[in-house]
Formats: sequence, structure tokens, C-alpha cells
Amino acid sequence: MTELRPLAEVSDTSVFGSKAVGLGHALRDGLPVPPGFALAGPLVEAVAAGDEAAVERVASAVRPLGGPLAVRSSAVDEDGADASFAGQHLTLLNVPSADELGKALREIWWSANSDSAISYRKRVGLFTRPSVAVVVQVLLDPECAGVMFTRNPINGADERMIEASWGLGEAVVAGLVIPDSYCVARDGQVRERRAGLKRIAIRGLPGGGTVEDEVAPELVERLCLAGSRLDALNELARRCEEAYGPDRDIEWAVADDTLYLLQCRPMTKMGGA
Amino acid sequence: MTTAEASAEPQFAPPGPGFWEQDPVHFPRALTRYWTEVHPEPFARGTADFASFYGMLIGGLAMAYVNGIAYKTVRQVPEEELPQRFARAEEVFAHKLWREQLKAWDDTFKPAAIAKHRELQAVDAEALADDELVAYLGRCRDHHAAMINQHMRHTASAVVPTGDFLAHVGDWTGLPPSELLGLMRGASPVSAGASEELERLIAAVRADPRAQELLVSDADAAATLRELRAVDGEAGAAMTAYLELVGNRLLDGFDISEPSALELPDQLLQAIRTAVDTGVGDSSVETPIAEVRSKVPEEHRESFDELLGEARLLYRLRDERGVYSDIWASGIMRRAVLAAGRRVTSSGRIHAPEHLLEAGFDEMRALVEGSGGPSADELAARAEYRNSHTAKDAPATLGSPPPPPPDPSTLPPAVARLMRATGLALGALFGSSEAEHDEDRLRGLAASPGVYEGSARLVSGPADFDRIVQGEVLVTVSTSEAFNILLPLLGGIVTDSGGLLSHSAIVAREYGIPGVVGTREATERIPDGARVRVDGDAGEVTVLV
Amino acid sequence: MAGAPAEALRRVPLFADLDDDQLAQVALLFKERDFTAGETVVKEGVDGAAFFLIESGEAKVTVRGAERASLGPGDHFGEIALIDEGVRSATIAAMTDLVCYGLTLWEFRPLVIANGEIGWKLVQSVAKKLRNAELS
Repeated sequence: MTELRPLAEVSDTSVFGSKAVGLGHALRDGLPVPPGFALAGPLVEAVAAGDEAAVERVASAVRPLGGPLAVRSSAVDEDGADASFAGQHLTLLNVPSADELGKALREIWWSANSDSAISYRKRVGLFTRPSVAVVVQVLLDPECAGVMFTRNPINGADERMIEASWGLGEAVVAGLVIPDSYCVARDGQVRERRAGLKRIAIRGLPGGGTVEDEVAPELVERLCLAGSRLDALNELARRCEEAYGPDRDIEWAVADDTLYLLQCRPMTKMGGA
Repeated sequence: MTTAEASAEPQFAPPGPGFWEQDPVHFPRALTRYWTEVHPEPFARGTADFASFYGMLIGGLAMAYVNGIAYKTVRQVPEEELPQRFARAEEVFAHKLWREQLKAWDDTFKPAAIAKHRELQAVDAEALADDELVAYLGRCRDHHAAMINQHMRHTASAVVPTGDFLAHVGDWTGLPPSELLGLMRGASPVSAGASEELERLIAAVRADPRAQELLVSDADAAATLRELRAVDGEAGAAMTAYLELVGNRLLDGFDISEPSALELPDQLLQAIRTAVDTGVGDSSVETPIAEVRSKVPEEHRESFDELLGEARLLYRLRDERGVYSDIWASGIMRRAVLAAGRRVTSSGRIHAPEHLLEAGFDEMRALVEGSGGPSADELAARAEYRNSHTAKDAPATLGSPPPPPPDPSTLPPAVARLMRATGLALGALFGSSEAEHDEDRLRGLAASPGVYEGSARLVSGPADFDRIVQGEVLVTVSTSEAFNILLPLLGGIVTDSGGLLSHSAIVAREYGIPGVVGTREATERIPDGARVRVDGDAGEVTVLV
Repeated sequence: MAGAPAEALRRVPLFADLDDDQLAQVALLFKERDFTAGETVVKEGVDGAAFFLIESGEAKVTVRGAERASLGPGDHFGEIALIDEGVRSATIAAMTDLVCYGLTLWEFRPLVIANGEIGWKLVQSVAKKLRNAELS
């Protein structure tokens, strides 16, 4: 079947979108990516329309992953546009099992076809309809997670900027906390370490979905990352840059004592571009 | 306050005649009973002291506690003392009287205080018998009261030369206090947390591989600190000396309910790491001084040098008078009370050691002696009350508003100069409501450059989206992809939470609109519809009147 | 079964004059979309990208903050922005959980061009709205 492949096997962005191909590439390079599948745009649309055969095809292929799952949209034609599309893509965390994928895929399809998403596309020069490819992966239960830009996005300095918080990285991406902030030079020297105010952690619920947990008081201002983790992140930054080029926007998570790469894509120009 | 009173909504009546105002900058939360008993007298005495020393037109300040919330009032000077005050005010500037106080501080007060702190903190409270423990608590309490007095006594000296500088140089250059205070940088190493002990520690750790290894370990912070103290040679000795200096200092606030440095080992260790990594603040301030000086009209430049010199000389007193006085003494009292608390808990009289912090001094004594005191539940209820009541829950003022202050032009010049210096300094340093300094400014992370002025719209979620119109400034806790629908309409973004890599920061940069994130309290402090200026370069949001 | 159920379309006046085959074809183009109570479905001033029918639930229409109408099962909205490729002229918010069927611009336009009956019905409904000075 050409419309649904294990992540490690995809390489055509016009079919599976840049997120899926980026992760596939990373897996082939030996980078630590959670396992999963890529679904092509037409397949996702069929599922969103309610085509039962398509729904069953997806469910049975993904079932071996077990649960819970993270489902993310993977844009097919956005690389050319100089835009981050930050928050334009819906991510559904903690879909309990393959059987709930139908509804999840429909929500994702609509979010890519919503007023704001279409308006955003027009703003950045894309007037054709979006093809909504999707990535389905095992959902991690991280101790801490966050975002790393391999160049400082505010002043362009050659240093890694890392933001971290407890639980799933959503807390950092969606700005639900004031995250820890770290600046690490290319040679590993820690230039800045600032504890945030991390009152909330996003965690998965047993029956599906996520919840905002209150963080224990002694952890609210405790740093998530110590020296060795920062070294590992710096190394991950280096490997991503080597594989894909400079100025990477990376989403990462630490689970079971392992640093995972969840996303690696180009940073966009700073504001005012 | 009994449990019965606590369960009803607390009533707030003025604690005495006159006009009372909260002091939320110093006292944002309800205070312990111990504090409300110990603080007022030495505070009043110390403030009366500086008021008379400087020939001020006030008798002093008084602090009182209503339902645990702090209120302050200004005491009047008896009319018969006015001539004396006027005369004294003349001397203040003519003879730079603050230098006398600085000398007394350096030669007498500070060293004596430090010696007493060290003496008291060397006592092993756990090893004392009950009656000795009670006596020790008494010594710590008396020392705490004396230190409160010492702190207040030196307040005006910390404030007057700085305020005088701000007043004159502000007039000459038009520069605001916030900018002029930058010229004080490096004049107060203790504000930056520095001290001889810290400098010694930094040098020792940088020269010792074992200490460096320990410093960056991922292990438990308290254990790491213990191991660092135990390292052979200079590094261990320097660590011990440093911890003895700062260990019992309260990290924030003044009450015995606040934790001291050693109780928050993660923060303490982090501070040490930062200091070792980056050294103690770069205090190169020559260029900024030269820049400001060049804006001063030539005929005033000599005065500028003199005023700046005095301000910088005294500036360290602002933090030293707290850190070497009651901030340390309060930590020592806290330590003693917690030791007593552990003893009283194990004999079953209270539920947890921290609850003893809720007792007044006589009550603490009674509980240790086993002769009475409040019940375990009563103390627990007080703790609950304090944790749930902040200054914001109480009226901002009590009593009838005071008459306006005298028109400075009717006063002798020295007196007017003193009043102005004090007012300006208090405003700039402590953000009090007498200030010309605008307190409607919030700080956050500078997420997206540019400056924008517009109407703020508080949005708590999609249900409010309707209310945003073109050109408004979004003010919200955090943004999610649901907010994207609003982006084309916005002139600026301000959030409570979020970092520079969060959704709100990224979309603000992408849409090229000014953004300030992580302000912590924008949604509480910015009124809906208020005109605001969002400065995404400085990371500031100002509510414009 | 893909698309919307035929019965959902049948009671929508816009499609009332289609025969069963035509209705079935049109129904295939729709996709279900659900909204939770309180959610903003469309926002005034933003480019429009989809047209919706309400299958169940209630929605409120506001223009510049002033409430203009209530929408329920069988009602449709969102076509004006798709016709003139402009911005949404009103804000529509779900008052209860809402089940809708939607068409994006890329299905709506060819459908209207190909099917004169639907086109005529649309013109009539827009004219009626104009008369009621209710731009929706």
C-alpha cells in the first residue's frame, strides 16, 4: 500500500509531507525518533469523509503500535513558503488506540481546512487546497520536554536556545508555562540557565486525551535539565544540523532516561520578514 | 484570632487614628502572629530615629497588622519640634550627615550584628533542654527585634543621597529615575549577591577539579552541597564560609514563615553554579556615567560628580541594612522555631513543625514548656489562613485620607530638598504610590520586536474572541492554535505564560507584531480596554493613563 | 459511508429541489465537522474557507458584538465568504455541542457552477438575507 508506510520508509514530501519525511530521514540516520506511520493526504481525506474501508485500513495497520498515540499533521507543500505555520497544525495527543483514529484524522483534516489555516496559506502565497498528510506515532510519557532552536531566534546569535518544562512538550509549545530557558554555545559552554515558573505539566490520561496537572511546589522553579542533558541536546542539535542544515527548530522529549527527537524542521525568518 | 473568627469573613477596621495604607511591595501576604507582635515597636522606634536624625517633617512611621495584613501610617511631628527639624535639615546637606551613619554602620553596627548572628546560629538547638530552648528562643527573638530596629534606623541614609541625585540630575537631563539608577551599578556588590566569601568561593572552585565535578552533578542538591563542604582544602573551606554567611538568610521577604537559603538547596546550588560560570556581575559603568554627564549642562557638572559620588557611596547600605540585619536574624529565629517545632510535634502537641511558626512568642514558650498554648488545630487553621490570604484580598487603605502634603515652595529650601529626595528615592527604589515612577509597567520576555500602542483586550478563551477588533492588543494567559483565527486582527500580543519559543512568541514574530510573553500577571494588572504600549524590544508593557 | 447522510441535506431548503441522485452526489462531498459548546465556528473579519450545514445543536450569530440571529438544525451559513472570496461578515459561535457538515471552497464552487438549481436557491437565500439586512 503506497498511502500508509512505516515512518522509516518515507521520503516523498509531496505525498507524505515534510514532517513525516523529516522524521523518516532522522530514523534512517539513527536519530532517536519514536516509531510510527505516515499517512498520505488522500488517505486522510478519505477517512475524514467517512469512507469505512479507509478507516479500517488505517486502524489495522496502526494497531501493532499499541497505544496511546500521538497524531500530527504533516504539511505537504509548506517548505517553499517562508513561514513556520506554528500552531497551524493540529496535534492530537493521547489518542488511546488505533480504533479512535478515524475521529482524530477528521479533526486534523478540518483544522488544516479551517478559516485561519486557509487564510494563513493565502498570506504566505499558497492558493491551492492543502493536502493533509499525517504522522501517527507512539506517545511518550516524558519526564520533561520542550523546544530547541539551534540559533537564537531573537538576535540571530550562534547559540542553541532551549526551553524546557515538565511532562509533554505541549506546555512549552503552547506557552502554558514560563519554561526554563538555557543558552548553550556550540562548544557546549552553558551561557545562561534560567529557571522558569512551571506550574503545569501536560500528561496523558488513561482513557485518552491529556490533562493539565499541577506541578509539585518544589519542582515549579527547579531546573528540568542538568549538565549532561544539555550536552545531549547540544549533540542532537549538531547531528540535526549536519543532516539537514543550519537553523533547526527541534522538538524533543526525555522519557525513560532517553532523549527523543520529536520534530526537526527549518527555523523561519524572524519577525518583520 | 480564634478559629471561630477565622471562619467568618474577616473585618477590617483602622488599627488606630489616621490614614493607613498597605505595603504590598514588602508585605504581599498575611504575616505570622509572631511577626505582628515583634515588628511594630522596633519599626516605629527605628523610623522615628531616622526622621529626627535627618530633620524630616514626619515623626516616623508606624506599622500595624489587621487580620495579619500589614498597614503603615505616617506619624506627625509635634509642632514644637519643627524649628529643630528645619535646622537639622539644613545640616543634612551642608555636612552630608549620611556619611556619619555609614561610618557608624561599617565600624559598629554591622560587625556587631554579624558577630551576634554567628554566635546565635552556632547553637545546636536540638541539643538544648526544654528550659534552655525557651531561653534560646528568647535570645533569638530579642536579637530579631534589635535587627528590625537596626534596619529601619539606616533607611534614610540609604535613600536620601540617591534621591537627591535623582532629583537634581533628573531636572538637568530629563532622564527618568529608572535610567539614572543604572549608574549605581557596581556600587552595591551585595545586591548582586556578592561578598568576599563568594569571591573566595568562586576562585576556590575554579581551581579545584573535584569541586567543579560536584558542582555540575545531577545528584540531589542538598547532598551535593554537603559533599562540597566536605571537599579537602580551600574549596571545602570556602564553601563552608560562604554557606555560613548566607545559609540562614531569608531568600525573599522578612517573616519567619519565609524559607532561608539552605532550605532551598536547588536554588542555592544554581546561584553558586551561575556565579562560578559567569563570575560576579560585570560592573563597568564608566561609559554610561560619561554619557549621562555629557547631557548635564556644563555649569552643573561638578555638582553632578559630587552627587553621584555620594549616591554610589551609600548605595550598598540599601541592601546591606537588610541582609546583615533582620533578613539574617529572621532566618535564625526561623531555624530556632523549627527546631522547637520538631520537639513539640513529636510530643504530639502540634501537627507539624512549621505550625509553630504560626504561634506568638508567649504561645511558643507555653507549647515548649507544656504549660498550655493554642491547640494543634488552631495553629493549623492559622497556617491555612495565611496561605489563602494575600494583600490583594484586603482593603488598600483604612481610615480617612490625610490632608495633602505641604506645598514645597512654602518650606525652607533644605526641607523641600529633603522631601523631594525622599519621595523620589522611595518611588524609584520601592515603587511606592507616592512615586512619580509609573507603577503600571509590566516586564516579561521580549519575544517580538517593535513598539505598539493600542487598546488591550483581555481574552480568556474562544468564547471571548468575538470582542477583539482590528488593531487591539491581545492580553491572555497563553495562546493556542485556536487563537490563530485572531492573528490578522492584532496589533500586539501580551501573555502571562510562555517562553520565547512558545506559540505566542513565534506567531508574534511571524506576523511582525510586538510581543511580550511570560509577564506572569498581565491578565491581572491590565484592565480590559485600557490603552497600553507594548515594547517588544525591551520586554515591557505599560498601561498608559 | 462517506459524506453526509442524504436526510441531513434533504431538509435544507438550499437543496430542496434536487432529485435523489443529485442529492446523493452532493452529499458525498460533505464531511462531518463537530464543534464543542462555546467554540467559535467562524470569526468576523477573517477569510472564509468553508460552508456549513447544521445537523444538530444551536449556534449564535453576532456582528460587531451585537447578537443578530440563532441558527439550528437545517440552517446553513458561511456561503457569502465563499461566493465573494471575502472575509467573514459575522461571528458564529456554538451555543451547544454542534454537529455540522461542511464543504470547503474547493468543493463548494464547482458544485454551484455545475448545478443551476443549487445556484438559484443560493441567490434566493442571499437576496432574502439582504432584505432582512442580515449579512451572514
